[in-house]
Amino acid sequence: MDFRFTDDQLLLATSVREYLAGTHGTQVLRRLDEQGNRDPAIWQGLVDMGLTGVLVPEALGGLGMGLVEAALIAVECGRACLAEPLVDTAFVAAPWLVREGRTDAIAGIVDGSRKIVPAHAINPWLADGEGARLQSVDPLRNLTTAPHDASEDPYLLDLGALMSAAQLVGIADAMLEQATDYAKLRSQFGQPIGAFQAIKHQLASCMVAIEFARPVVWRAAAALQAGGAHAATHVSHAKLAATDAAMLTAETAIQVHGAMGYTYEVDLHFWMKRAWALSGAWGSRAFHVRRLDEAVIGGTIPIGPEHTFA
Amino acid sequence: MDLAYSPKQQAFRAEVRAWLEAHVPKEPLVTLECREGYDQHVAWERTLAGGNWGMVTWPEQFGGRGLDLIEWLIFEEEYFRAGAPNRANQNGIFLLGPTIMEFGTDEQKARFLPPMARGEVIWAQAWSEPGAGSDMAAIQSKAVRDGDHYVISGQKTWSSRAAFADWGFGIFRTDPESKRHKGLTFILFDLNSPGITRRPIRQLHGDTGFAELFFDEVRVPVANCLAGEGQGWNVAMATAGFERGLMLRSPGRFQATAKRLVELYRQHADTASPAAREAVVQAWGAAQAYAYNTYGVAAKIMAGGSIGAEASLNKIFWSELDRAMHRTAMQLLGAAAELKRFADGSINQWLEGYVFSLSGPIYAGSNEVQRNITAERLLGLPRVGAG
Ligand SMILES: Cc1cc2nc3c(=O)[nH]c(=O)nc-3n(C[C@H](O)[C@H](O)[C@H](O)COP(=O)(O)OP(=O)(O)OC[C@H]3O[C@@H](n4cnc5c(N)ncnc54)[C@H](O)[C@@H]3O)c2cc1C
Repeated sequence: MDFRFTDDQLLLATSVREYLAGTHGTQVLRRLDEQGNRDPAIWQGLVDMGLTGVLVPEALGGLGMGLVEAALIAVECGRACLAEPLVDTAFVAAPWLVREGRTDAIAGIVDGSRKIVPAHAINPWLADGEGARLQSVDPLRNLTTAPHDASEDPYLLDLGALMSAAQLVGIADAMLEQATDYAKLRSQFGQPIGAFQAIKHQLASCMVAIEFARPVVWRAAAALQAGGAHAATHVSHAKLAATDAAMLTAETAIQVHGAMGYTYEVDLHFWMKRAWALSGAWGSRAFHVRRLDEAVIGGTIPIGPEHTFA
Repeated sequence: MDLAYSPKQQAFRAEVRAWLEAHVPKEPLVTLECREGYDQHVAWERTLAGGNWGMVTWPEQFGGRGLDLIEWLIFEEEYFRAGAPNRANQNGIFLLGPTIMEFGTDEQKARFLPPMARGEVIWAQAWSEPGAGSDMAAIQSKAVRDGDHYVISGQKTWSSRAAFADWGFGIFRTDPESKRHKGLTFILFDLNSPGITRRPIRQLHGDTGFAELFFDEVRVPVANCLAGEGQGWNVAMATAGFERGLMLRSPGRFQATAKRLVELYRQHADTASPAAREAVVQAWGAAQAYAYNTYGVAAKIMAGGSIGAEASLNKIFWSELDRAMHRTAMQLLGAAAELKRFADGSINQWLEGYVFSLSGPIYAGSNEVQRNITAERLLGLPRVGAG
């Protein structure tokens, strides 16, 4: 029993975080928003780091890592508000296709020539596709109508929901950081607004919500990786906890920014809109509450102190 | 990340479970907050000590089992699974014991720890004063040096268990010229010393949960001072860290409450609101989240790390979870929520639990103070003025 990451896992997360901080900062988000939101150079950078092959078995040319590593990276993608569909392609489509034995597309995923955003019946549209366009509030998502052959595979749904939860945690982290930085800089009544307890306490509450959503996401990643009987329950738990933490943090962050937060100019809106989008994607809050309800009140998962790791 | 218990850990769980099943009282004890209940709880402490289950995390030399934190968590999970009584010895196990181990002399360790482990001496903590609540540095009670004694005068309040306990510990102003955090000394005292008057205070539920302590020139040997004169604040902060950190409220307690809440919901499903139903589901989720977090922190500490201001996050989370779970239970009970005993004569434990849960966000550093700490130490927001 050891609920910790290995040094290698932490190193991986740090290197992705630093890479994205260096190459995918807010000026990049603004540029993408203004000049067309996909950039082959950004995609190629992710491919060159090996990120498209993280979940692909070594025999198929990938790194053969697991969902815990992928979730760690997905957190970083959320933190950077990554525009490119890395998570959908590499952490949702790739493991699903591998599991399905549909390995013909895998080489293309690994070498970066194919971006695949899988269609699942839970999603009424595709986050990034080639069909008729729909406009998302998130300027960095290219929604299209879903094809008719959308999958109903529960494993695909769980992958999508887990990876959304992981991104939501990273998004919440980023919004909390932005709001905290702003609270240190902005002065009113002769002091930084971050010295007002009304501001401090709201930000502290966000931190509580985030820090107690985070381990739920790790637990879900480990459960889905192991494929236990209750993996879907853990995934729904993670999606719910991460959604609630991200939505609370989004609303708090705009409040702390005052009117600045209500502008298009302050970058907070990119993260906030991604949070709205991912909160509803891969199963709405209600969907995941219901799945959790079926397990907890319906009695399919053993509960109580001795069942921490059921 | 390895989320499986080792065979040794599984065997340990089985051992704890078997012992508890054989020893936990079949009938719930009378509340700790009255003479009769207090005596029952002290008797339970001695039963635990008899099986060497009193201070499982303490080193063997002081009467413990030297368990690591994962084994401690397993022990606690089983403890709450079994519905075992509240711990009269709580202050000793998690607060004073570790403090003495860290700051005490060998003589003090030998003198105070084994009787604590055996459940022979029950301790009360005495920090708060009428003028020093959240602002503990405003302490005024004095300890004046007179040869090899201190002479203590002043007043402490809200001291849990002090109405019936044997000994107390707290910080006192030994330097009359000092202000705030300086000049304070950590002193252990016999609650039966001449000059101490205990005045029990009725709590919200009507029972005697804590007491005021009046000190009228109470003579305490200098040998009862921990870590030297003037070190009181540092020692007290370390003690508060143990309390708020990992050990004051182990996850099993809340997982057990969440489980009972699910069972309560099933009995009241016909009349419950959808919101209450979701609150029940969320209760399970939050109790689990608290457990995962604790396992993570435990692993970190076992690998040589420590828990600092993050302890404030824990305290906020568990205390507000506990209140939310009991509030939901009160809603589910509807009209029956107000009954102290149900029609079948059984105690309304949800009501008792709800009342107690209201104190969680106040004691062990109020949640407002914890949010200040979170904002200032973890988020780095500016400190202005006191607090
Ligand atoms: C059940 C129970 C058991 C207890 N047991 C013990 C015990 O065994 N030993 C012991 O010594 N004490 C004990 N206490 C006392 C406890 O430690 C204090 O109640 C606590 O420190 C708060 O102090 P106070 O009650 O004086 O409230 P105050 O400090 O007067 O606070 C009142 C309100 O003001 C808020 N407030 C205060 N300062 C700030 C600030 N800087 N920023 C924002 N808000 C602030 C508080 O959060 C609170 O909401 C116990 C209390 C309870 C309820």
